[in-house]
Amino acid sequence: MNHERYSNPYVIGVLLGLILLFTFYTMGRGVGSSASFARMGATGVDLVAPEHAKSNKYLSEYFEGGGSPLMAWLVFLTLGAGLGGLFSGFISNRIQGQTARGPSIGVSFRLWLALGGGILSGFAARLARGCTSGQALTGASELAFGSWVFMFCIFAGGYAAAYFFRKEWL
Amino acid sequence: MGPLFKFGWFDYAYSLQLAALIGFCFGFVLERAGFGNPRKLVAVFYLRDFAVLKVMFTAIVVCILGLLYFSVFGWIDLSRVYLLPTFIWPQIVGGLILGIGFVMGGYCPTTSVVATVTGKLDGLIFILGMIAGSLIFAELFPVLQGFYESGCMGSLRLSDVFKINSGLVAFLVTLMAAGAYWFVEKVERKFGDPETLPAGSRKAKITAAIVMVALGLVLAIVNPDKIAATRAATQVAPKEKAEEVKQAPPKAKEPSTGFKIVDDEGC
Repeated sequence: MNHERYSNPYVIGVLLGLILLFTFYTMGRGVGSSASFARMGATGVDLVAPEHAKSNKYLSEYFEGGGSPLMAWLVFLTLGAGLGGLFSGFISNRIQGQTARGPSIGVSFRLWLALGGGILSGFAARLARGCTSGQALTGASELAFGSWVFMFCIFAGGYAAAYFFRKEWL
Repeated sequence: MGPLFKFGWFDYAYSLQLAALIGFCFGFVLERAGFGNPRKLVAVFYLRDFAVLKVMFTAIVVCILGLLYFSVFGWIDLSRVYLLPTFIWPQIVGGLILGIGFVMGGYCPTTSVVATVTGKLDGLIFILGMIAGSLIFAELFPVLQGFYESGCMGSLRLSDVFKINSGLVAFLVTLMAAGAYWFVEKVERKFGDPETLPAGSRKAKITAAIVMVALGLVLAIVNPDKIAATRAATQVAPKEKAEEVKQAPPKAKEPSTGFKIVDDEGC
């Protein structure tokens, strides 16, 4: 690998904590991103079948204000995250078209697993009202009880499933 | 006094610009840590590289300490910070599924964005999967609603559960974090690849850990909950109260579409 070495995780952790603190101080809420994808989905459904989108009990909440579901705080945050990641990748020469995978798995199988993992994650994040950022990071910082339980469950689920996906990564 | 938005310091349009800025910093540090690379991310589940755990715990500890110190200094009114409600059953099941999705797909939602912009096709596919997964949830919502709303415990903090003050909770969290760092570094040394792990001086780590625990200990002694309660009680002076009400933005200023999670506030 010819890319630059990654930063020290403790330093990154402190910076991330300060970003989160700044968010709480200015906005009175934390960060998040998974809802952005639900909103993209809602927008997509709205394009294809507007009546269906508005009659769906869950999706209809995204249309409540009357505007596009994408006019939302978290969507702007997610767009910003894309730009920030792009900038960091650019200055460290880490932008490279590829399918990231372990040495013993083929590209197409890896992509199917990425799709499956995405589906599970998208579903789980809606069920738990947030993801690693919106629920675990944000809630744990506020000492919210459910968010702490959620965070430990992510690790529990990951460790429990790791054995079955070892050929994907190792 | 913060949170600035809740006291009407800026409007919704400006808050969206702020969101993009916060997101930029967020995405930037995630990529710096290597979190656009799924092999780096899932290494935590194979005991080879605990960067995910270190970043998460450190961010949480810094933010907990920051929020409580801000509260002690009177810079932020924590009662106006939106507290995520506890719905224990969906959170347990959602967490477990998210963990499985993490190791299967290689990402969590935010890191998949960082992966996609740095050129990973699997990151983009993961995002498409997440959109599909959200829609599947929405389609199944009539069936799932009962479970989705089960186990509601409202706004519940660790301090309420253990019946101790938040400063003491913060102190215990710093101790837990220090213990976790010590433990995972031991495991990393056994299973990890020393070539890819960031070195970092031992002395700096120990100093930082001592500072962290000491900051927690001070909070445990000063009891931020009591200070906040005392301040709230003295603020009832009618003139100030009227001022505050005037400054606070009307509820309608927070469009319901922008705050999906807030909509769940009432059990």
